[in-house]
Amino acid sequence: MAMLIETKTPPLKPLGKKETEVIPQATKRHYVWQVPIRLTHWVNALAIPVLFFTGLFIATPFFSPTPGEAFERFTMGHMREFHFIFGYVLLLSIAVRVYWFFVGNNYARSGFPFFWKPSWYKAVIHQMIEYMHLERGYVNIGHNSLAGCSYAGFFALCGFEGVTGLALLGEGNPGGFWDRVLGWTTPLLGGSFRVHMWHHLAAWFIILIAMFHIYIVLYDSHLYKDGLVDSIISGEKHSIEGDKDANTWIS
Amino acid sequence: MEVLERKPSTYDILRAHGVDRRTFLKFCTQSAAAIGLTSAMVPQLVAAMEKKPRIPVIWLHGLECTCCSESFIRSSHPIAQDIVLNLISLDYDDTLQAAAGFQVEEIRKKVMKDYKGEYILAVEGNAATNDNGVYCTIGGESFTNILLETAKDAKAIVAWGSCASNGCVQAAKPNPTGAKPVYKLITDKPVINVPGCPPIAEVMTGVLTYLLTFGELPELDRQGRPKMFYAQRIHDKCYRRAFFDAGMFVEAWDDEGAKKGWCLYKMGCRGPSTFNSCSTTKWNCGVSFPIQSGHGCIGCSEENFWDNGPFYQRLSNIPVPGIESTPDSIGKTLTVLSAAGIGAHLVSVVARKGVRNLTSNPEPEKSEPAENQNPENRGN
Ligand code: SF4
Repeated sequence: MAMLIETKTPPLKPLGKKETEVIPQATKRHYVWQVPIRLTHWVNALAIPVLFFTGLFIATPFFSPTPGEAFERFTMGHMREFHFIFGYVLLLSIAVRVYWFFVGNNYARSGFPFFWKPSWYKAVIHQMIEYMHLERGYVNIGHNSLAGCSYAGFFALCGFEGVTGLALLGEGNPGGFWDRVLGWTTPLLGGSFRVHMWHHLAAWFIILIAMFHIYIVLYDSHLYKDGLVDSIISGEKHSIEGDKDANTWIS
Repeated sequence: MEVLERKPSTYDILRAHGVDRRTFLKFCTQSAAAIGLTSAMVPQLVAAMEKKPRIPVIWLHGLECTCCSESFIRSSHPIAQDIVLNLISLDYDDTLQAAAGFQVEEIRKKVMKDYKGEYILAVEGNAATNDNGVYCTIGGESFTNILLETAKDAKAIVAWGSCASNGCVQAAKPNPTGAKPVYKLITDKPVINVPGCPPIAEVMTGVLTYLLTFGELPELDRQGRPKMFYAQRIHDKCYRRAFFDAGMFVEAWDDEGAKKGWCLYKMGCRGPSTFNSCSTTKWNCGVSFPIQSGHGCIGCSEENFWDNGPFYQRLSNIPVPGIESTPDSIGKTLTVLSAAGIGAHLVSVVARKGVRNLTSNPEPEKSEPAENQNPENRGN
């Protein structure tokens, strides 16, 4: 298991530096994302839309099956089935990813939010301003601090959804496994009904993060020419002179 | 009701009333069935009723509407009359008893002294804690003090109804009287919560029968509710559940689905998050229950149910500080705002490129501080 060692933050690039008109094509190649990272990414990418759609349906069944008798159809039943199955899939994927955080390469840990360190806040703000300059800044091989921050939020939200979701699932089987393991969380959040509402609201925040994620990846990949989009398939990112290969703990 | 010094058992009392043994055994069997015991347990119940002295009960009324008592007196198995007159020794109940004034308070004090540590305290309603509990006084004393005083020497406390168990309407926001449920005021005694607004009559009598028979508390869940009545959700035993799973919902109170008795989920039914026995025991001797009569469950036995409104919509207000919105309206607003932020960023990128192409100057001086940037833009 890799030690959680933190290195000194590399000096930040001065803000507002103008780049020349022609952005040089990145050349150096780095193998960044190992297989479990890419795999869990795509499992998440599949599970989240399914979970969001079925979840919205379960909360507000927005279409009804064609008229007929109840024994002929199982619309809500199937929606719930899919929701639970993909919920387990997502949780499993998250578990693999968290495991890989410890045993994978340094990029698997990059961007970890050191929220107790002032230098981390500086790095996050710096990266935000970078993206507002609409110019090629330096590439982080690995996650930059802002990305790491949002992914930490993503994992926290998934954890919350997992706990509340399984606690709610356990309500259908009182005294069963999930009821015994997680049932105690429900009163803490104001009872079953409120847990439903919190679970629902948190799902929206996951969608928000996914929106920002997709946009900024396309933007970054287009402007920085670092092969970011391809990298989640091939595992490789590109860099030029001056980019930051933070193959260390904090990057 | 006078406190008897001999501490007679239930059977003694029944015999004194001219009840024969056969009827007594019938009564025991019925009571056993009511609290979910198998027939093998009936002898145990008979033995308890024969030997154990009747439990003295002090029944207090605080901030409440007496609907719990109203429900209680409609119990049919066992009938409330049997409970009140035979099973327990209801020594003090300021709503039911004939005596009044200081006489009554003396009875309470006497029971507390004679049966120290043995009597059951049944509480209907809850206590106001703001302004020294002035919002509920009995005989010049605040109910809060009476409750604390009476609870001190009680064996156990039964919190009747949602008021006593979790606060109900008087503890709903903004709770001007500072009403607090019993378990928040009394922490050193076992409290059995029997929530519901009101609780089902058979549930109330069932809890008392259990207490008498076994002389101990029934098994309680995490929120102090007897598992035998509150373990399952209404939704999981609801006879409309087939329509829920099929996805067939009532959409308006007078539509086809309403007439055919489809699921009331979209009309705000709280059955999926309410633990109670309504869909099993039903009400008024098993005549009906809210969902059967076409109205969704409002979740009256759940904590905060008044604050989880409106009752007629499924996705309801969540207590986000400062705003009252459903999860979906919050989510949609945030999504639109974020999309606007992303859009603004994208437009700035395109505009900047356009300016560059037009000027085709290697050093364009036009600096466009990106406005409307959403600070939440994420990195790769
Ligand atoms: S009517 Fe209510 S309790 Fe019954 S199945 Fe529908 S949602 Fe569940």
